[in-house]
Amino acid sequence: MDPRIEHRLRLTRRTFLGRTGTGLGMAALAGLVGHPPLIGAPAAETGQGSLRGRPHQIPKAKRVIYLFQNGAPTHVDLFDYKPKLQALHGKPLPAEYVGGRRFSTMTGKTDGKLLLAPVEPFHQRGQSGAWVSQFLPYIARQADDLCFVKSLHTDSVNHAPGISLMLSGAEIPGRPTLGAWLTYGLGGDTENLPAFVVMTSVSKGTSCGQIFYDFYWGSGFLPSRYQGVKFRGSGEPVLYLSNPAGIDPATRRAQLDDLAELNALKFREQGDPETAARIAQYEMAFRMQTSVPELADISSEPKSVLDLYGPSVKEQGTFAYNCLMARRLIERGVRCVQVMHAGWDQHNSLTTELYTQCRDTDQPSAGLVADLKQRGLLEDTLVIWGGEFGRTPFIQGSLDDRKRWGRDHHPYAFTSWMAGGGVKAGLSYGETDDLGMNAVKDPVHVHDLQATLLHLMGIDHQQLTYRFQGRDFRLTDVHGKVVEGILG
Amino acid sequence: MPLLKTLDPLKWVGKKAQQPLFFQFSQRLFLLGFLSLWLTNARAAIDFSREILPLLSDRCFACHGPDEKARKAGLRLDQPEGALGKGKSGEVAVIPKQAARSELFRRLISTDPDEVMPPPKSNHPLSAQQVALIRQWIEEGAIWGKHWAYVLPQRPRVPPVASQGSSEGRNPIDAFIQARLTQEGLSPSPEATRATLVRRVTLDLTGLPPTPSEVASFLEDPAAHAFERLVDRLLASRRYGERMAWDWLEAARYADSNGYQGDSDRTMWPWRDWVVEAFNENMPFDQFTVWQIAGDRLPAATQNQRIATGFLRNHMINGEGGRIAEENRIDYLFDQTETVATVWLGATFNCTRCHDHKFDPHTQRDYFRLLAFFDQTIVDGGGGNPQSPPNLLVPSLDQAEKLKRLTSDLELASEVTAHFEGAKFVRAKGKSADESPSTQDLPKEIREPLKAFPRDRSVAGIEKLMAHWKESDPGYFKVLDSLRDRRRGRDSLEQSIPKVMVMDDMKTPRTTRMLERGSYLKLGPAVSVGLPSAIASGVPLTQSNRLDLARWLVSPENPLTARVSVNRLWQGLFGVGLVKTSEDFGVQGEKPSHPDLLDWLAVDFVASGWDVKRLMRLMVTSATYRQSSRIAATLLERDPENRLLARGPRYRMPSWMIRDVTLAAAGLLTERVGGVAVRTYQPSGVWEEATFGNKRYEQDHGDSLYRRSLYIFWRRILGPTLFFDVASRQSCTVRTPRTNVPLHALLTLNDTGFVEASRVLAEHALEGVDLAEATRVDRVFKAVLGRNASSEERSVLLRGLAGHRVRFAANLKAADALLGVGERAVMAEVNPVELAAWTVVCSTVLNLDEALSKE
Repeated sequence: MDPRIEHRLRLTRRTFLGRTGTGLGMAALAGLVGHPPLIGAPAAETGQGSLRGRPHQIPKAKRVIYLFQNGAPTHVDLFDYKPKLQALHGKPLPAEYVGGRRFSTMTGKTDGKLLLAPVEPFHQRGQSGAWVSQFLPYIARQADDLCFVKSLHTDSVNHAPGISLMLSGAEIPGRPTLGAWLTYGLGGDTENLPAFVVMTSVSKGTSCGQIFYDFYWGSGFLPSRYQGVKFRGSGEPVLYLSNPAGIDPATRRAQLDDLAELNALKFREQGDPETAARIAQYEMAFRMQTSVPELADISSEPKSVLDLYGPSVKEQGTFAYNCLMARRLIERGVRCVQVMHAGWDQHNSLTTELYTQCRDTDQPSAGLVADLKQRGLLEDTLVIWGGEFGRTPFIQGSLDDRKRWGRDHHPYAFTSWMAGGGVKAGLSYGETDDLGMNAVKDPVHVHDLQATLLHLMGIDHQQLTYRFQGRDFRLTDVHGKVVEGILG
Repeated sequence: MPLLKTLDPLKWVGKKAQQPLFFQFSQRLFLLGFLSLWLTNARAAIDFSREILPLLSDRCFACHGPDEKARKAGLRLDQPEGALGKGKSGEVAVIPKQAARSELFRRLISTDPDEVMPPPKSNHPLSAQQVALIRQWIEEGAIWGKHWAYVLPQRPRVPPVASQGSSEGRNPIDAFIQARLTQEGLSPSPEATRATLVRRVTLDLTGLPPTPSEVASFLEDPAAHAFERLVDRLLASRRYGERMAWDWLEAARYADSNGYQGDSDRTMWPWRDWVVEAFNENMPFDQFTVWQIAGDRLPAATQNQRIATGFLRNHMINGEGGRIAEENRIDYLFDQTETVATVWLGATFNCTRCHDHKFDPHTQRDYFRLLAFFDQTIVDGGGGNPQSPPNLLVPSLDQAEKLKRLTSDLELASEVTAHFEGAKFVRAKGKSADESPSTQDLPKEIREPLKAFPRDRSVAGIEKLMAHWKESDPGYFKVLDSLRDRRRGRDSLEQSIPKVMVMDDMKTPRTTRMLERGSYLKLGPAVSVGLPSAIASGVPLTQSNRLDLARWLVSPENPLTARVSVNRLWQGLFGVGLVKTSEDFGVQGEKPSHPDLLDWLAVDFVASGWDVKRLMRLMVTSATYRQSSRIAATLLERDPENRLLARGPRYRMPSWMIRDVTLAAAGLLTERVGGVAVRTYQPSGVWEEATFGNKRYEQDHGDSLYRRSLYIFWRRILGPTLFFDVASRQSCTVRTPRTNVPLHALLTLNDTGFVEASRVLAEHALEGVDLAEATRVDRVFKAVLGRNASSEERSVLLRGLAGHRVRFAANLKAADALLGVGERAVMAEVNPVELAAWTVVCSTVLNLDEALSKE
């Protein structure tokens, strides 16, 4: 029998159940990934959750850790090795590489821009022979676990729009971000912690840190319960988490018991399900008060594990600390952890701050992968490392002034790496031209990367939608193709 | 529709959906025939704009709609010409009265996957019922019409309603609501108790709870119109303007800083105060509109008329290095255009920034013609000046007087200096000092300040002159010294006076160009100012400036403004608008739950002279509003969202209101209208972490800590931490979500301000000697909930109190620590154990679902 009919009937039923709900996609997705469907959950928006013509996808990854490197790491100095760039050091950029492309206002015209060789030497690493710069010795050692995507390209040439595009699929703020979409679709595996957690850090002494805007983890037009909860870098990880001075756990428990009893009286009299939800809300708040301090208490972590993440792992607010927290969060059922580190904007600091930047992120990033692997968690955890665009193969600044060497924003090619959760380990995918200017072989657009991430999580990016202003929106807008070549 | 409910054939389909496919298919065919028969025979004629257009829009317009570039097969279904004429294929999409011969219908029911519409891959098939509707519509003659919201509302007949005991309709609103309820076989709920009503309406009209004495006087008022009297009193209270202003500030994306990197602080608060005042004076909404869109264009514009235009300048300002001024300027114009379209027209104009609208008949050209109205300002987009011109100095009375004095002091010093320099630097009449022969040999940086008349020199310039002549001409030095002091005095005063960014047009008009895909780099054809063609065709422009736009927005020919505005005010009272998508009245927006009521209210609103207080009064005095919000299980199942209004509204208050209510219940609230934004308690380090230490939060002290939420400083990049589910104030927002997450509970349980309020409330509970504990519990309940506790509630709290007392008695330090939260001094001579225990009780009451909700 025609599957279309089956589908139509299903839709019909939904239409009659009402178009009021927002959780429909959630219920449908829960069905898709094998969770029991939510009985009585509100019906989906039209078109949502419809799976016609597709087998149910088995997710390769159950959770995501996005190690987001704000400011755009320099691909030509870190991952994308180009001998010709070395050879043409100091020579003008040949015009055929430019082809009318637009650069940031700081670069303006590319006429006469001089090529700049990588600051540090590259070596091939591991069995896979992936090229990684000497800047990143720890990541280099982990190369056989990683999948380098070297042909990424994006549309934006400025930070905030670029980061927004990478995380939400649109340059302008206000769309739901990856983590919001994931938790909207899949929920979390814990009731004690938020499903989507964000942490931020910046290297000490960074001169050009980009602000972390809250729309980098926003839920856009999705209900705000899907927005990322930002864990803070100092003091209490969650705002208002601690009891006020003088209220001990016993008093708080007694207070909440009274509150629940009074709310239950109200519910019986008034009949509003919101009142019942209120009881659950306060109970979960109480659980969070216990689970977050437990999460943050790393005293039980053995030294051998802490050492993986490097010397600043115990210091709250550092990238290393956040990487360790990321592991502890996903172990406790959190769906998506977004760890953001600012300061990769080397306009004039390739020979100075770039070293600090690498020192602070290299060991923790590699350590996290190693730690996940040794626990068997890497299999179904997807780790992504990367920024919003790359940096120009040509110099910003003067060749004579080595201390102030820099590179400008470069949207036409950059590298990210992934590990775990269904991606091929030890692979370098895609290529740029021989100067690292343009992605030429197997180019991967931001929306393709997003489609792939969702695919690995068991989601068809075209089917995870939300209706807003009369249109079905999705993370990949109207674009995106799964990059089959990197699937394990 | 009652027939549908009885038969419920469609629900039946749904239930059978799990059966084998074969079975389903035959059922579907059967049903299709059955339904179309049944529908054609049983129901009234199809209403194109309410029943057919949304279907066509949702399933067809993406490829066969207004957007020319996206159009497939040259077929356009949003206009009758396209649908009724021959298509490229030679087929006619719609042949009136002949569904079977109409290509459109044939495609809908085709079983060929290559032919069927919508295409299977769109995932948007039509249901059997929908196909039947379209068939009926074609059979009835395929009568076309405009989208309902683009047709001018006509005052509908108020449905006759039989008087039914307690549910007797009080005003026309009730007639409409009741007519629908009768249709649905439902009856309204009885009136809420008086105690519930006084709290509900006081929260809605003032954002604050009634005081116990206000409750008592209402309960004791025997007059038949006691409630109406109460409403009038609330509408006259100045708290009313503060409550109404919040929603307007969210729509106007008002904030106290620019946003983006840098996020410099601005001084737009005189605009905010103007809004409060305008609501309190009950400024007619048409005037309120004209002032904000084009106050500066009014003849002999007053200071307030110009301040009002700050509405348009409330957008974010990007001061990031590397940004091109024009890129910024265009962003600001986008924001202004889209904000106006959302607030007044309920139109999603942002869709037309890059292309013609996919669903609504708005074109990209419409967008840029609307944008052209705003394109005439002097704003150049460069830099991150949070008071960028055009701006307006808005001194207080005090400041104005002082400014006048200091200006005349400066003038005097300037004349003395000029006189002195006339002798010192002899020159021809009309020449400046730097042109005197005697200054020609001076270094350039010394001659520079001399170019300007003394009063116009900067402090730095004057100081250069002083340094140069300090030794050689002490007399001149002294004159300059005095000039410098006057200059500095006036400067520092001026800096302390708020400057409001306002609108003003350039003398020479700027040519507005369309931008390809909305990119400032891709200039398209030039356009002149113009109103949206789909809703304002033929409306003449007299001035070709913002005044035309403003006047059209509130003209009788505008089908949207009144509906959109009335709907937003309804949403504020009932929790959901009559059109749920209050930001989108387009084809894809939700249809109104009560279309006739919406139109009646809109027409009535305009006829009343756009009288906002009158409309608010009409709504809150309706029987519909006054119903009990108790929910029977059956009703909950029938209407979980309360769209039919068979019960009164009940929902969690906005977070800003929860804070205000808490402060008021504790007697802590500082009631002072307007002024500079305040900084209340906030966990340390929040601003610092977000801005890498560039912005330090310096908390206020004393009364400022207890000002209403409206006056709390709004840093645009992160917003105050103590609100949730509020607009981000980054772009226009007319509908905010209502969610329920644990973080909200942590806030109201643990935030310094809430804990302090619990303690101060506990102090009130403990006032007086020899009172029963039960009486004290009632005192707390009355302050927070406007009612006494029930005996069950009392016993829960007193049992809790006893436990808290035991724990604090065993840990005096804990009691002291709790009492030390917040800066308000603790009442004298109090037993700390007693006060701490009561503080916990009060915190419990303040966190009750009922305390957090409007009931």
